[in-house]
Amino acid sequence: MSVEIRGLNVAIGGKTIVRDVDLNVGDGERVGLVGSSGSGKSMISRSIMGLLPANAHVSGSIRVGDRQVVGMRDAELADLRGRYMGMVFQNPAASLNPVTTVARQIALPLRLHYDLTKTERLDRVRAMIAKVGLPDDVLGKYPHQLSGGQQQRVGIATALITSPRFIIADEPTTALDSIVQRQIVDLLVSLVDDAGASMLFITHDFAVLAHATTRCYVLDGGRIADSGDTAALLDHPSTTQTDRLVSAARTLSLVESGEA
Amino acid sequence: MTSDKTSRTSHTAAQATVRVNANVPAGPTAAIVLHGMWRRGEGKFSIIVLGLWLIVAFVSLFWTPQPLLATDGYHVWATPSAAHWLGTDGTGADVLSWLMAGSRTNLLIVVLTVLFAAAFGLLLVAAMVARNGTLAGASVVVVDALISIPTVLLALILAVPLGASVTVIVVACGFGYGLNLARVARPAALLAARSSYVEAALASGASGWWTFVRHIVPNTLPVLLVQLSLSAGTAVLAESGLTYLGIGVPSGVPSWGHSLATSVKFINVYPLTVLWPGLIVTVVVVALNVFGDVLRDAVDPMVNAELRDGAAGADCDGGTLSDPLRAARPSHTVGQRTAVSVRGTADTDVAGRRSA
Repeated sequence: MSVEIRGLNVAIGGKTIVRDVDLNVGDGERVGLVGSSGSGKSMISRSIMGLLPANAHVSGSIRVGDRQVVGMRDAELADLRGRYMGMVFQNPAASLNPVTTVARQIALPLRLHYDLTKTERLDRVRAMIAKVGLPDDVLGKYPHQLSGGQQQRVGIATALITSPRFIIADEPTTALDSIVQRQIVDLLVSLVDDAGASMLFITHDFAVLAHATTRCYVLDGGRIADSGDTAALLDHPSTTQTDRLVSAARTLSLVESGEA
Repeated sequence: MTSDKTSRTSHTAAQATVRVNANVPAGPTAAIVLHGMWRRGEGKFSIIVLGLWLIVAFVSLFWTPQPLLATDGYHVWATPSAAHWLGTDGTGADVLSWLMAGSRTNLLIVVLTVLFAAAFGLLLVAAMVARNGTLAGASVVVVDALISIPTVLLALILAVPLGASVTVIVVACGFGYGLNLARVARPAALLAARSSYVEAALASGASGWWTFVRHIVPNTLPVLLVQLSLSAGTAVLAESGLTYLGIGVPSGVPSWGHSLATSVKFINVYPLTVLWPGLIVTVVVVALNVFGDVLRDAVDPMVNAELRDGAAGADCDGGTLSDPLRAARPSHTVGQRTAVSVRGTADTDVAGRRSA
């Protein structure tokens, strides 16, 4: 499913956080969105999901498939979320309900959008946790009994259980160590490609970006500073913002390969 | 690609398989929680007292030592004897019979008040943590304003149209305690409402109301339990107070407050008739307060390790899941408890914390 953002502005409490952003994600495409902390990456993803705080002011156009998300009613948005759009969150430990078992957690989008019996739901959850590489016995466990990597696999399973056509991954690897980061990105990319879905991958880490996306946008101070083919952008940064981010990423990846 | 992780997870799976046949005390969550409470001295006390209350209330439906309306005109203000175990009051009625029958009324009042307070309080909490800023802000102001109305004043106002009745106690107390509950539970509920897991549920397509019922309330449960059990204790006291003022339980209806109110004027002459209902009210209120405290610890997986292991199997989505999961439940609590007893007291704290 394609996503088309035109002239998006987001202001919270009178302060403009996202300015005049144009962004495209083609059907089946994996697109990156990079930028330092506070550049407005998460605001863009939350605008697409309609999850901005109540005091946020949004203008511009966000088309998901053939539907306009800006100004959409809550009930319509809720139907879109989970069914057509899935989201993987930054901090897996915090984005899983501490008093809910893994099975219930993953089954939630199915419960909300599909009229299935418990057995059918359980079958799908079982199939999904096998796909994300988790053992069957995690189903009855609580989030705090899992490792960070396992928790993020649960997060991915929850986002993908309904086979949504569009996935937003909001810094899904930031809270994980570098080895697990690699595994999670590989998993996410292979699952999204298998499903033929499109993905907006948000990160501040260029090493992860090169791995996960083919095209990317660089966000700086709420504006799109640069965009283009990920590999080309990494090799020949054309703007100072990109250059700054890329050189910072190089230093980091050197440290990482030194450790590995 | 996932070699490290896979080996790790399969290791866990293998451990789980080995533990399948381990002798873990199985049981539903309620039994585990009750066991956790029973282990503590004050927990035993509150369970016994509240259990006795339930039994006595039930028995009084069929049997009391004397019929309630039977009076013994030759033995008014009698001291305890074989015929009247706790003596008689000024009309020669059997004190024990009236207290037994009264336990029923008090139970009804406590249950209704707690239900009213919980429903009203949770409704207010829902408004106070709403994503709609205007509703949230307005409800906080409304709660702060309403909380300044004294419960007794509200009861007096309600008694004008309703007269002395159980309804007055339940509505006045339920209203007041509901406001208190909302104020006390709001910070915890707000924390849950603004958490990532609620956002994740919204991203899955859940409605605001769904996230409140399924995500926010369960994560606020410890606060709710303590506050509601305190409310239950206060409701027993309020019944006595309001009945003494003449706006609680109507005359002729047995209740602990009624027994107190009818004999309190003669406390200097016949102290025993006042002692019994006073003693019962005190013991029950203490038991209710302690109950909430112990219950909170027992439902907290950080304190009650048994619960964490047991609930993993019991609290799944649907019965089909429960059995294989309960079988695969890790049994390290049992192992650790054994380790504690072998190593002695020095390790208790460490092991206890690790299991928590």
